[in-house]
Amino acid sequence: MQISMFIAPAYYMILGALVLPLLPKQIRAGSFMLFPLIALITIWSFPEGYLIKADFLNYQLIIGEFSRLNRIFGTIFSIIAIIGGVYSYHLKEKGQQSAALLYAGGALGVTFAGDYFTLFIFWELMAVASTYLVWARRTNESINAGMRYLIVHLFGGSLLLAGIILNISNTGSIIITSLTPDGSLSSWLILLGVALNTAIPPLHAWLADAYPKATVTGAVFLSAFTTKSAVLILIKIFAGWEVLIFFGVMMALYGVVYAVLANDIREILAYHIISQVGYMVAGVGIGTEMAINGTTAHAFSHILYKALLFMGAGVVLHTTGRSKLTELGGIAKKQPITLWLYMIGAFSISGFPLFNGFISKSMVVSAAGEAHFDTAMLLLLLASVGTFLHTGLKLPYFTWWSKSKEEIEPTKPPVNMHIGMLLAAILCTLFGVYPTLLYDYLPFTVNYEPYTIYHLTESVQILTFTFIAFWLLRKKLEGEPTVALDTDWFYRKPAQFVQRVFVDGVEAAFNFIETVSMDFSQKLIRVSRNPLMLFNKSEEERDYDPDLHRATTHLLLMLIILSFAVFYIFSLII
Amino acid sequence: MKKWHWILLGVITLITLFAEFVLLADYPKKHWWSYVPMFYILWGFVGCVAIIYISKWLGKLFIQRKEDYYDAD
Repeated sequence: MQISMFIAPAYYMILGALVLPLLPKQIRAGSFMLFPLIALITIWSFPEGYLIKADFLNYQLIIGEFSRLNRIFGTIFSIIAIIGGVYSYHLKEKGQQSAALLYAGGALGVTFAGDYFTLFIFWELMAVASTYLVWARRTNESINAGMRYLIVHLFGGSLLLAGIILNISNTGSIIITSLTPDGSLSSWLILLGVALNTAIPPLHAWLADAYPKATVTGAVFLSAFTTKSAVLILIKIFAGWEVLIFFGVMMALYGVVYAVLANDIREILAYHIISQVGYMVAGVGIGTEMAINGTTAHAFSHILYKALLFMGAGVVLHTTGRSKLTELGGIAKKQPITLWLYMIGAFSISGFPLFNGFISKSMVVSAAGEAHFDTAMLLLLLASVGTFLHTGLKLPYFTWWSKSKEEIEPTKPPVNMHIGMLLAAILCTLFGVYPTLLYDYLPFTVNYEPYTIYHLTESVQILTFTFIAFWLLRKKLEGEPTVALDTDWFYRKPAQFVQRVFVDGVEAAFNFIETVSMDFSQKLIRVSRNPLMLFNKSEEERDYDPDLHRATTHLLLMLIILSFAVFYIFSLII
Repeated sequence: MKKWHWILLGVITLITLFAEFVLLADYPKKHWWSYVPMFYILWGFVGCVAIIYISKWLGKLFIQRKEDYYDAD
């Protein structure tokens, strides 16, 4: 192995995760940002197309592949790790900080991996490190949700690994290349493994289950890395697989429906990750240069505004201890900074002109139109109605503006939380106003202008009338204290049955057999002590005493031997 | 919503209608819905109403359960 493999960007994050707990408390939180910053500098210090290679067994690994596509994803992952570091600056807990860096390291490792082996190692690292961010909340709910999250991801990892092994045995190569939709088992297994991390229904339930139960700061990191690194792998391997258009559009709408029913603010945001990632998956399915550019740009924008939204919801949870719409309301005047920074995220995700969602989402939607997927285009526009409805209207209205049943007094959040939000809000606006800052770094040359009269008219008309419909029907959208059943039902509800059959049942059977065998051996011991009890009931009271029967036995034996001797002598005489 | 909010929304809508029917009168009609005037206004409004009603209907049908659904045995 060459030394050079240790200069891949992911290793700086992992180094950070190891070093951070050893640093003095005063500089620990500040040092957090240093590691993603070094990783970001490293990403841009290698020339385009540079490969970091390492030999492992008989294979050559590509630890770092500095393509345009990888770079733009690596950049946004590093930026969001820095912003997340600012947002969690007040955090005193070593474990969470380390886990966040390890998780970011995993995401960067996946991003720059050029071979399946490296990909898989970092893929699993992400799963394990991110689970800690759910567990660290330390409620019963989050411990259980974290365990489900981990098991589901390990299952997804196994599918991926099975696909990778099959693929290597078929092709003899471990290099990641695009696969053709040839129906081979290895391709489908890899697709399933990646689709699970992309949260494509029905493999998505882990996301909406775990993210709302993660820690306030952990959810910010979670919202950025897992699904978007999976989208990157989809681009690399499955670009142009048309089945993904169907699933992308389906998940864009799926998230919208569930966001209507969700009551927890972070659950609404979680379902809108699924919805937004739907645009990216559809973009991968379309597979044209414009669609891939759109997917990449949308992943970039999405990470920024979704982290901002999660940060806003996190401040609400941190300062009020509440996260349910049914328990919130009436705090708009008490936390105007949080509200308006959140609203910048909401304008961005809804695709308001001048914010970054507009310049990226419209690219994917237009790519669908250009490639003549008219129905997909129309349904994606419908999903964006839902996005504005929930994230831009329902959530802020019922969290901040509507009347609460009781007076809520939010505490003052640490100032670093607002600085983190402000940084993300600035970037959301910056890329919205100057799209070329992003367009110039996309994988393909961009021939797309978002600010045309047509696009502006289309967006403003849709947004205005979504708002009017919301206002008229807003009473219908009030939160309800319910849970929404999702595909996690299939492993959560039968879990009780499985527990009964495979744990309680097995335990009962084991106990029964144990009792029976102990009972039997007790009896055997008693019988062994005095086998005469089998023939004589009166013997049951006492143990076997050889002296008791010695005289009679002697006499009996003597008589037998004597009779033999008599018969023998008699036979000799005759 | 105050009165001026509604006036503002009205003005914005008028501007977009001016853009649609005057500035974009010759815009190439690429999709079937390009032939429907004010389509995006309808799509925004009807879409929003449909999302709310269909989701709530599905929720009542089988999705929504009591909060202790998974804890209760």
